[in-house]
Amino acid sequence: MEDEKKGKGLSRRSFLKGLGGGAIGTAVISTGLVKPDQAEAYSPEAAALTRGRSAVSLKINGKTYRVEVEHRDTLAEVLRDQLGLTGTKIGCDRGECGACTVMINGRNMYSCSQLAVWMAGKEILTIEGLAKGDKLDPLQEAFIEHDGPQCGFCTSGQIMSGKALLTKNTKPTEAQARRALSGNLCRCGNYNREVAAVLAAATKAG
Amino acid sequence: MAQAEKEFSVVGKRTPRIDAYERVTGQAQYTGDLQLPGMLYARVLRSPHPHAKIISIDTSKAEKLPGVKAVIHHGNAQIPWSSGGHTHRRFIFNNPVRFVGDPVAAVAAADRHIAEEALGLIEIKYEKLPHVLDPNEALKPDAPKIAPEGNLSVGKGNFSAPIEESWGDLDNGFKAADRIFEDTYITKHVNNAQLEPRVSVAKWEAGKLTVFASTQGVSNARTDIAKDFGLPLSKVRVVSKYMGGGFGNKNQAQDYDYMTAMLAKVTGQPVKLEFTREDDYIGMHGRWSSEQHYKIGVKQDGTITAVQLAAVTNIGAYRKQSGNLSGTDFYNIPNFKKVIKPVHTNTVVGANYRAPAYPQSVFGFASFVDQIAFELGINPLEMFEKNRIQKYKSKTPFTSNYLDECIAEGAKRIGWNEKWHKPGAMSGAKKHGIGMALGGYPFRPGLGAATIRVNPDGTAHLLVGVTDIGTGAKSTMAIIAAEALGIPLSQIQVTNGDTDVTPYSVGESGSRTTPFTGPAVIAAAEDVRKQIFAIAAGRLKVKPEELDLRDGQVFVKSDPSQKTPLGRVVAQSGDLIGRATTNTSFKDVEGKSFAAHFAEVEVDTWTGHVTITRYVAAHDSGTIINRLPAESQIKGGVVQGIGMAFSEELLTDTLTAIPINPNYRDAKVPTHLETPEVEVIFIEHPDPYGPFGGKVVGEPPITPAVATIANAIFNATGKRFKELPITPDKIVRAIQV
Repeated sequence: MEDEKKGKGLSRRSFLKGLGGGAIGTAVISTGLVKPDQAEAYSPEAAALTRGRSAVSLKINGKTYRVEVEHRDTLAEVLRDQLGLTGTKIGCDRGECGACTVMINGRNMYSCSQLAVWMAGKEILTIEGLAKGDKLDPLQEAFIEHDGPQCGFCTSGQIMSGKALLTKNTKPTEAQARRALSGNLCRCGNYNREVAAVLAAATKAG
Repeated sequence: MAQAEKEFSVVGKRTPRIDAYERVTGQAQYTGDLQLPGMLYARVLRSPHPHAKIISIDTSKAEKLPGVKAVIHHGNAQIPWSSGGHTHRRFIFNNPVRFVGDPVAAVAAADRHIAEEALGLIEIKYEKLPHVLDPNEALKPDAPKIAPEGNLSVGKGNFSAPIEESWGDLDNGFKAADRIFEDTYITKHVNNAQLEPRVSVAKWEAGKLTVFASTQGVSNARTDIAKDFGLPLSKVRVVSKYMGGGFGNKNQAQDYDYMTAMLAKVTGQPVKLEFTREDDYIGMHGRWSSEQHYKIGVKQDGTITAVQLAAVTNIGAYRKQSGNLSGTDFYNIPNFKKVIKPVHTNTVVGANYRAPAYPQSVFGFASFVDQIAFELGINPLEMFEKNRIQKYKSKTPFTSNYLDECIAEGAKRIGWNEKWHKPGAMSGAKKHGIGMALGGYPFRPGLGAATIRVNPDGTAHLLVGVTDIGTGAKSTMAIIAAEALGIPLSQIQVTNGDTDVTPYSVGESGSRTTPFTGPAVIAAAEDVRKQIFAIAAGRLKVKPEELDLRDGQVFVKSDPSQKTPLGRVVAQSGDLIGRATTNTSFKDVEGKSFAAHFAEVEVDTWTGHVTITRYVAAHDSGTIINRLPAESQIKGGVVQGIGMAFSEELLTDTLTAIPINPNYRDAKVPTHLETPEVEVIFIEHPDPYGPFGGKVVGEPPITPAVATIANAIFNATGKRFKELPITPDKIVRAIQV
């Protein structure tokens, strides 16, 4: 019994690239670098050429960053790898765990599921932008007092979802807080603490 | 120990973690956050077959992809991975491959996208071999052979053997019984699923290897790496400062640390290897599944006279840990025998996950004890109270044992006597249930080390090898140091988890940090206090033993107004260094933390959906060093138990042997929405052997949680669920019968 097997062909990233990069493929074909009838025959050199890059302005924590990104780079990757904003974590890279949660135009969103090139003109807030100078956000203070982080890997995401909730609802009920954080997994199982911290911050702010 | 009785100034409070600020601001640097100049990114290619011989690997296309720097595989990087000293040798790349997910190659490239793309360009010819997924099938003589010694795993020696343990006289025990019950309980493979995916960063400088590992133990990681790479210990440095959870699957050094080191070596550049979430679910390990067959003899009044356990556990393709089952530990069993067969199959490895041998077997045993109570017409509270463990193996006393108080206080808090009803007796579509179970975890002493440097400004710097995987260990060590020194907690700085800087630590697993390293911190504090008092005695013109140190002041015990600031004492010496290596042991006693858990549930008999309406966890862990994170750990252990009880199971397609739900969404880990408020009760009596009277906290809470919930579901429905997870479809089917 013999059979030839490559590694898994289609990763999520190449799938994302396929979705977001339709225009890129067309552009390459029109330059004649890869002829349509040869597109089936994969060559590494040709693949490298299809990697589109663009310059994009990102407004993050009130500052504007001009960065060159690959079209397939997610916002989470650019934040962490290019801008050193590593408080945003990647836990699953597929929109399930919430460790990469940031606020985009006031809403909590998974930054692993947003391409960086889509972010032009949007206001992005990450965990690093929450404190005002040395003064922590009341939600961060509540997370310290209520033991919000155990291992701490999900904490930034929990806080950003909590912040998004408190921005639009200053007096959430416990059920509302749970619902608002339910897209943020915590394998340490510290859910009681994270909800308590959000409710305490709401009380403090009010 | 006298120290257990004195008033504490720092121990036993609700103290926020000393590194909480870094954790809530995003400043805490985890391994994956590191960026080194010239660093490459690496990814791993895994076998799509459950059992196959690799005939050839062609990496030429992958190597041609611009940006690819190196491809390693069994042909050019055959490094043994001894995985903590276990006898079954394994390599970082194996041929044949033995499960879907067994690593076959790793690529280092300029960025992670290129590395990922390159994986798809590696061409491998496999010759498929027959495979076996079921552990009972694997034990049959004609089953495909996975390990050289056979599919029954090697034990402590180099030969296949079941785990056996017995005491008393089993035959007499069953003869003394009025009734004998037999049944089988089944649990499934559950992944640790820590939030931080596995990641490793390695670099070589002048022949010295540094691995920034996301490990629970820097010392044992260094030992393993040095041994397997043939390096002296001085040429290996392992660093782990912040790590995003592990729950037992980041002990020691893992194969990806080795791959990272190897890729860094061949490329001459630093390398960061990242796992995807799927890699994490299939490429490392989860909790071993089990099939537990019990025979239990009881008196008519419910007293257990004998227990026989015959079990098979599935440890997957490679041996990493024991495959044992220890859920009977919390009961008084005068006559006992167990035979556990850990078995190799062509599936994902089954190894350590928080309290490795416990929640699955507590589920089996405590469910069965609850069932027997029902058959005998005894209230489960009485049944558990009557059979709770009093002495280890019915003969050796414990260092302390307040399991009785855990049961009594927990039952009182949840209102057991008012709320318990006959199983399945409630009418209506939504049925109330209440259940309980016993748990805990061994408290053992062992080798620990610590160094404390007291600075001329009166602050102190504690060096310990411990990593902080989220338990708050760093804070615990600082609190113990502050208490033992007599210096405020705010004046203590901790450096941890760096083998070039910090002394030995056993590794943060098995609830060992406080009992192993805690005594060393106390002894190091005593060492430096002696030096301080010797110097201060001259200044204050008294004998050293007449002095004490508190709040940063050295003073005469009989006249505290005679004092001098600590900083001034130290300044003459530059700084003062206290150090200690301790290795305490127990003689004629055994140690254990104990727990009794209680839950109320509401079972919707139409949908099979279960809501936990109340949860009470009562724990005897001795003195609680820091209540705030200790409570969080109890809560978290329960939440992990909830996942195991209701939803989590790694499913494998029986035809292809491919795991079909290796991700958070499909493996269904608990979210905010399934989590009740967990009420924590600490029954606090100082243990005479524990540092400041403390026993262990980390592992115990998960141990009784699954059984507690299962027993509450039985009380609600009158149906016994003998196989995990207890999913809505199983409940609806059972109720409709």
